[in-house]
Amino acid sequence: MRRGESGRGRGKRKSNLRKGERDDRHSHRRKPHNLRAAVVDTQSKPPAQSHETRRLLEGIGTPASAPFKPDPFQLEALAALEFEDVLVTAPTGSGKTWIAREEIRRLIENGRRAWYTSPLKALTNSKYQEFSDEFGAAQVGILTGDRKENSDAPLIVGTTEIYRNQLFDSLRGGQEVNADLVVLDEAHYLADEDRGHVWEEAIILTPPRIRLLLLSATIGNAGDFAGWIEEVRGVRCGVITRPGARPVPLRAAFLLPDKRLMPLTNDAGRLNPEIAAMEDTQRRERRKQWHDR
Amino acid sequence: MPELPPAALLTALGSYNLLPAIVFLPTRRRCDQSAAEAALMRRDPNVARRDARRDFLQQFVTEHAEVRNHRHWDTIIRGGVASHHAGHIPGWKLLIENLMSAGLLDAIFATATVAAGVDFPARTVVLTGADARTGSGWRQLTASELQQMTGRAGRRGRDRVGFVVAAPGLHQDPQRIVELLKAKPDPLVSQFRATYSTLLNLLDAYGNFAQVREIVEKSFAHREAAQQITRLEAERNEREAVIRSTLEASNCGLTTSDAIGLERLVSARDRLQQAKPQTRVEVLLRWLDEVVQPGRVVGIGRSGKRLVMVAQRRNGNVLGIREDGRSVSLTLQRIGRVYSPVYPLREDDVSDAFKEIQTRGKELVLPEPRLRDVKDEESDALDLIENFISSVTPAELETEARAKCVEALWSTLPDAEAMQHAVRRSEVLREEVWQPFEKRARVLAKFGYLDFDGQKVTERGRWLADLHVDRPLLVGEALERGLFATIDRTRLAAVMAALTADEDRDYGELELDDSLVTTLGQFEEIGFGVSTEEWEHGIEPAPELNFSAAGAAARWAAGDEWTTLVQKTRAEEGDLFRMLSRTGEALVQIGGLRKAHPQAAQIAWAAAESVLREPVR
Repeated sequence: MRRGESGRGRGKRKSNLRKGERDDRHSHRRKPHNLRAAVVDTQSKPPAQSHETRRLLEGIGTPASAPFKPDPFQLEALAALEFEDVLVTAPTGSGKTWIAREEIRRLIENGRRAWYTSPLKALTNSKYQEFSDEFGAAQVGILTGDRKENSDAPLIVGTTEIYRNQLFDSLRGGQEVNADLVVLDEAHYLADEDRGHVWEEAIILTPPRIRLLLLSATIGNAGDFAGWIEEVRGVRCGVITRPGARPVPLRAAFLLPDKRLMPLTNDAGRLNPEIAAMEDTQRRERRKQWHDR
Repeated sequence: MPELPPAALLTALGSYNLLPAIVFLPTRRRCDQSAAEAALMRRDPNVARRDARRDFLQQFVTEHAEVRNHRHWDTIIRGGVASHHAGHIPGWKLLIENLMSAGLLDAIFATATVAAGVDFPARTVVLTGADARTGSGWRQLTASELQQMTGRAGRRGRDRVGFVVAAPGLHQDPQRIVELLKAKPDPLVSQFRATYSTLLNLLDAYGNFAQVREIVEKSFAHREAAQQITRLEAERNEREAVIRSTLEASNCGLTTSDAIGLERLVSARDRLQQAKPQTRVEVLLRWLDEVVQPGRVVGIGRSGKRLVMVAQRRNGNVLGIREDGRSVSLTLQRIGRVYSPVYPLREDDVSDAFKEIQTRGKELVLPEPRLRDVKDEESDALDLIENFISSVTPAELETEARAKCVEALWSTLPDAEAMQHAVRRSEVLREEVWQPFEKRARVLAKFGYLDFDGQKVTERGRWLADLHVDRPLLVGEALERGLFATIDRTRLAAVMAALTADEDRDYGELELDDSLVTTLGQFEEIGFGVSTEEWEHGIEPAPELNFSAAGAAARWAAGDEWTTLVQKTRAEEGDLFRMLSRTGEALVQIGGLRKAHPQAAQIAWAAAESVLREPVR
């Protein structure tokens, strides 16, 4: 018998596939029927679990499916976008894209336009697919180094380099960048050694009339970063951070060579003393072996 | 501790209900091996799920033909595991991501680079070590990297809790992982830098360096410097106000610029002093270093009575011959006197030399320098200062009134010093961000893309501004000299691949035909000319051409099948894909120069078409 599967019996496992719940990243992808089948492992029995291991694994499993409800920080970001630039810092998977998508939806429905930039061609392609499924193919265009489709669409998805190049062109007397919102996804790429300068140029050269939405991984100096954006653009830039940092709580475990699982830390957040002791023993043994040689 | 075999690891995780998992491994090869091994040892007995995977794959290849019959296909279907890293083509990675989000995989073996950018969460993230592999060895993972990885643990809506599991491994360090998990996220650090492209575009847009500079000074990198400059300017203004009011109060008709003039002279004198030896010992040592040379006789110690003929000098050490003929080694410090004659170092001459010194020593001794001689230059500087002061103070004044004016002027010195320090420091800060642009402007001017004095982009520079490629200046020169108008599309593709590919990546050693070798040689020659000019302007040299990429790209552009190319080059598909895709993009850029270089543009279009075909889209 397997343990801890969210209190559900084996027969119910099929229902683990969420119904009606929106996964904000993969909603566009075709879902085959069934399929979160059991993790199969017939040979081994789980090792006897200590109290602390049971506590470590408590609550593991799939939550009951609930209708999608936006997080307060997502709504806060949307509200702020009404009158200022917004920098959202939150870990991947916590719903930054949802904010961008809802804002884009609002704009498109009002006959306005948006640009969505991402650092990688693969990401750009998948966003193009995602937004086309969401808003309809006619509403979305794509511009990358080797792909140009529907470039007059109200929503343009493209690499940050292409967006920056358009800013250069418009400065040099070319066509204005025709957008009311620019989303800079993965804005922390600004710190990329090779390409980071492109993000800075994009931020500096985006006309202040265009609203900026920056989506970034968690960074240590979000306030500073936003302060800089405010200075160079002369537009207020709010910082929205997801409180509690992670959308799904994280627990840290340590797997021993004998396959016992134990918490990596004690309640005080320090290395589990049992692991520390084991490490010490190993270190001593290594030293002894070395001396014996 | 040694690593658990992948199958055993997954079995253990499965027993705790910790699957699906992403197992992070240090190298691509390890990912592939682990996936294959896990699939072999740990066959998924759930037939329905295996069938579901097979169906999924078959459905997927109808839209992504390039993953048909992938060598890892079996691993996925049988074992429900996959490897995911930059060595795979995007289509394959997409397949894995989709399989994962459909819940059809138990584990993905991935490299840390995958953690950035792509989003495929799992219940559990497994770390087999606290180190990351680099090109040249191992280094510790950073907090941000670890957080990127743990960010994949726990699927929203599908997991109540996510797990990070530190598993046994040779580079495992649980203490370090605990620290990294607790660490604050790294701050965003600007990597702003000067590029030809940015410079040309901005100069063409604004038509003068001042405005370009203004933009450049808005960079995040410059922000800290800018804040410091603001503080320095405030300081400067404050000091200036103090000086002005002091001088006005003295009523001698002195101005701030007089105070600055004095400061300049005084700081010049100070610099002079710093460069000069300050103590007698220092002065003496410098002098000894100069005059103690082979063939000279020196006296040892204060008295200088014991004589030594210098045979050899080695830095601060002297090898010599004593009067009794024995050799001796001593330091410069021990020498008390030096005699002027230089004798030939022959045995019979040596004793004659000693004799001469003993008899006529007093007249032959070299005079030692005195500290005062050194101070002479300084007193010259003092005279200059005196002269300056009398030139700015009104001549008609009484001695006493004059003394007051001089005193007032001297009293401004600390403020003038602080003021000038602030000015100099802020100039340095200002230059830091602008200098690299100016250097590039001069290089561009040298090649005729920019008129430096006229502060404008030339006709030639305008199309270069539109050319968004790596090393635009080199490509521009190749175009300008007609190289790209005379070669066929495969060679153009090959040249651009050599330029675009990562310098140290290996794409196999395919044979290059003679005409391609000639073209690459010509291109290198142009590159050498560009690099030389850049080097002279203090711009660091660009990476070298990758000939192995040229060979692979030439075959691909000439029409090789993808599988043939992969086999021939033995390169990883993902690397080939990226290299060719970037080559294609660069060719598209050249293809855009229809007006300035119609012929080259036409060839580039044809080349781009032959490179950007399935699966390189």
